[in-house]
Amino acid sequence: MTDTVYASNVVEAAAMPEGAKSSPLKRALVYALLTAVSFIMLYPLLWMVSSSFKPENEIFATTSLIPQEFTLDAYRRGWNGLSVSFGYMFLNSLLISVLVVIGNLISCSMAAYAFTRLQFKGRGFWFALMLGTLMMPQHAVLIPQYLMFLKFGWVNTIMPLVVPKFFAIDAFFIFLMVQFFRGIPRELDEAAIMDGAGPLRIFLKVILPLSTPVLATAAVFSFIWTWDDFFAPLIYLNDIEKYTAQLGLRTFVDATAQSDWGALLAMSTLTVLPIFILFLLFQRLLIEGIATTGMKR
Amino acid sequence: MTTLALKQVQKRYGAVEVIRGVDLQIGSGEFVVFVGPSGCGKSTLLRMIAGLEPISGGELAIGGARMNEKAASERGIAMVFQSYALYPHMSVYKNMSFGLETMRMPKPEIDKRVRKAAEILQITPLLERKPKQLSGGQRQRVAIGRAIVRDPKIFLFDEPLSNLDAELRVQTRVEIAKLHADIGATMIYVTHDQVEAMTLADRIVVLRAGRIEQQGSPLEIYNKPVNRFVAGFIGSPKMNFLDVSVVGRRDDGVVIGLAGADVAVPLVERAKIGATLGLGVRPEHIRANGAGGTHLGTLTITHIEHLGGQTIVYGRLPDKQALIVAMEGQTLLNTGETLSVSIAPEHCHLFDADGRRLAD
Amino acid sequence: MSITDASNAGPPLSVRLRSQLGGYGFLLPWLLGFVVLTLGPAVSSFYLSLTDFGLMGPANWVGAENYVRIASDDPRFWTAMRVTFTFVLLSVPLKLMFALAIAVALNKGLRGLTVFRAIFYLPSLVGGSVAIAVLWRQVFAGDGVLNQVLAALFGYEGPSWISNPSTSLYTLVLLAAWQFGSSMIIFLAGLRQIPQDMYEAASIDGASRSRQFFKITLPLLTPVIFFNAVILTIDAFKAFTSAFVVSDGSGGPIDTTLFYTLYLYQEAFTNFRFGYASALAWVLVVIIAIFTALSFMSAKYWVHYDD
Ligand SMILES: Nc1ncnc2c1ncn2[C@@H]1O[C@H](COP(=O)(O)OP(=O)(O)O)[C@@H](O)[C@H]1O
Ligand SMILES: [Mg+2]
Repeated sequence: MTDTVYASNVVEAAAMPEGAKSSPLKRALVYALLTAVSFIMLYPLLWMVSSSFKPENEIFATTSLIPQEFTLDAYRRGWNGLSVSFGYMFLNSLLISVLVVIGNLISCSMAAYAFTRLQFKGRGFWFALMLGTLMMPQHAVLIPQYLMFLKFGWVNTIMPLVVPKFFAIDAFFIFLMVQFFRGIPRELDEAAIMDGAGPLRIFLKVILPLSTPVLATAAVFSFIWTWDDFFAPLIYLNDIEKYTAQLGLRTFVDATAQSDWGALLAMSTLTVLPIFILFLLFQRLLIEGIATTGMKR
Repeated sequence: MTTLALKQVQKRYGAVEVIRGVDLQIGSGEFVVFVGPSGCGKSTLLRMIAGLEPISGGELAIGGARMNEKAASERGIAMVFQSYALYPHMSVYKNMSFGLETMRMPKPEIDKRVRKAAEILQITPLLERKPKQLSGGQRQRVAIGRAIVRDPKIFLFDEPLSNLDAELRVQTRVEIAKLHADIGATMIYVTHDQVEAMTLADRIVVLRAGRIEQQGSPLEIYNKPVNRFVAGFIGSPKMNFLDVSVVGRRDDGVVIGLAGADVAVPLVERAKIGATLGLGVRPEHIRANGAGGTHLGTLTITHIEHLGGQTIVYGRLPDKQALIVAMEGQTLLNTGETLSVSIAPEHCHLFDADGRRLAD
Repeated sequence: MSITDASNAGPPLSVRLRSQLGGYGFLLPWLLGFVVLTLGPAVSSFYLSLTDFGLMGPANWVGAENYVRIASDDPRFWTAMRVTFTFVLLSVPLKLMFALAIAVALNKGLRGLTVFRAIFYLPSLVGGSVAIAVLWRQVFAGDGVLNQVLAALFGYEGPSWISNPSTSLYTLVLLAAWQFGSSMIIFLAGLRQIPQDMYEAASIDGASRSRQFFKITLPLLTPVIFFNAVILTIDAFKAFTSAFVVSDGSGGPIDTTLFYTLYLYQEAFTNFRFGYASALAWVLVVIIAIFTALSFMSAKYWVHYDD
């Protein structure tokens, strides 16, 4: 019983023996093909990283991925390439992303707990509506939201980017957690009920501690999506000191036009770096999250 | 004292009636076993007593006080779940102390109780382990320990042994019986296994389709099943049922015609001559090769199971009715051979056309 | 969901109230968010779509005028539709094909599955960011990487793919197709669900590998294909960042990358025509809804369900 909580065999199940029958030659061919495709897929990324360490004149002189002359010059130029240092923007991005993670974890886990574990009238109705919002394009609510936040005086602050997340606006995470909570045996709740625990104590002491995998998944996805988000900061943040790294990068494109590709690629590399690190650390969680919900990114 | 009373208790899921009016009195310290086929509502009844399911109708009283509206934790009840339901992220110690902490009991008192329960169940060395690091039997003990520490008046068990292998099942069964003898609390135990019911119960409650079919001590149920369902459910191998007709009446009973001979069966209730009745005979009460009793007929053997200490013989009487005989010891019989079988009148159970037992 | 009937006559009001309160207590944040940030705005955006609301002055009721204008008197709307539909109809099938092909190849019990899986997944994780759009701009620029490679390999002097109106949109299609990794993971998970004994039975029956693929794998995978297709389509309709960054927010060259969302953004936040932009938003919602509905209707003709 305890083991089923974590078992998500969707991803790590044994691979098909179907291939065991194929000949070694065929296998080698498949490998070669996969490797070639991988290389093509990765080439732009590798090129971006390697070019960011090249002197400007070398970037376009050669297609080689190994810098002949390794320099951090582009990073220096890029970091201070705008009127506000990129450091500020990274901090802004970090602050927003962390707050969004906190908001999503708290509000979405509460909603998922209510949907999976508590009995109340209208539960099925609200759940259906929640699933509906999964599919709904944000554009339908964008303008009134903007006008509302404008009225609150929240435009050009991080509030519009952060506060909604404390109200479980990202239905995807509710859905993700609902899927996970459903796998936690109900008898555990019942044992806790017999032990005198109320809904809050069961939530805090039984459900949440058992849900660290899904909480981590939600946290990492939240962070990455918020870090990457361009649309919302574009609309809500006006002053360059308030910019996120993505907005900064965008502005940098305009500012440098095509004159300093090295600096631009260096800053691009830097904005992707946190995502890449999270990817390396939590690859399995991310892949399982996608496989179990069947949903994007 | 802690008596438990159910009055016309019902459970409905929407339009489906799962428990259809159960009346039951359970005395203090009694060991009561709910037994019945899967899906008959045993768990539902137990969960209503526990407070995990709302009661749709009727009343539940514990110690004379109505409990329908009381929360599970306020009923003085502990429950051991079929899957044990141990908290996977907590140590054994934490599993047992969780409920006491919820009650805000002082730490030293919690510690005392947990250690005492661990002592009783001999799991003291396991206290710091996580459930994942325990064997099935050990998990079972922890689950019981979690119930014990709360010092409940009533223990509920929902098929607690069904996840154990055969050997452990017997061993744990004995331990549960011992536990009951030691702490003397009321225990209600759900199982679909009639051997567990027979061995553990002070009183067996046989359920079918949400109703109580019969309740009584194991031997009462064994000796005087009130209907064909109970007769067939309790006892292994199952009781034989033969169609017989009444051929004569006597002051103290009836005479029924069998394939081999007529038998006079003592009976209080009257039965019409010519009426068709069901004759129930337990396999272990059939005697072979004229070892006394009334001749039942000659059995043609179709299959034999050698259990070592016992031999189960399957066969057909001349009128093609199937019959199972459980013989003590070993025999050299073979399939295809015949066996002359007989029965003592006092071991005959008679049921009317509706399956109701005729009073004797 | 199985919902136990709360209307059972059992517990008194106070007990039932307590459990209702518990449920709504935990749901409260979502409920507030739903009402204030989704339902309310949805209603008011529909209302706005029937007005001429802009930065100046109060909203005047104009009825269906915005919608009429969209349909009959707005060439940029039709341009955006053409661009968006081209993008959706090209990028979604491409993504599905890549994802399925790679998933099937990876599912053959190869060593190094996890490494390949990670590599193919990485682009879809980072692909939505500004950095990658910037990179794309560079790769397909006149003096970009692609032309460098083409020159080195074939001596071919390529044009600027980004600023050439006849190719600009296809660079974005390629960028989308490049991010097939998450669909691939979903396909992999789907492939794992196909019972092994089906293949064993089929090979005992002498079915060839390709026959097994078309008669077993593909039909059993249709629910996953369907699901992926719906999700990808909805996502593709909402694509924004890449077009914005690559075209400097203009949708250029000459509106060839004017994604619907980009046009919507320009109307709302560059031209501040909130009423008109709201109408555009609702048209998008309706288009997506129709597309989804059509997919579900088509499903019964090609999606294989067990029962
Ligand atoms: N939540 C529920 N909703 C509807 N029917 C249920 C529910 N729980 C149990 N039942 C039905 O009630 C009957 C009794 O179930 P249960 O008490 O679990 O049986 P047992 O424990 O004797 O095997 C079964 O027929 C089952 O299908
Ligand atoms: Mg049961």
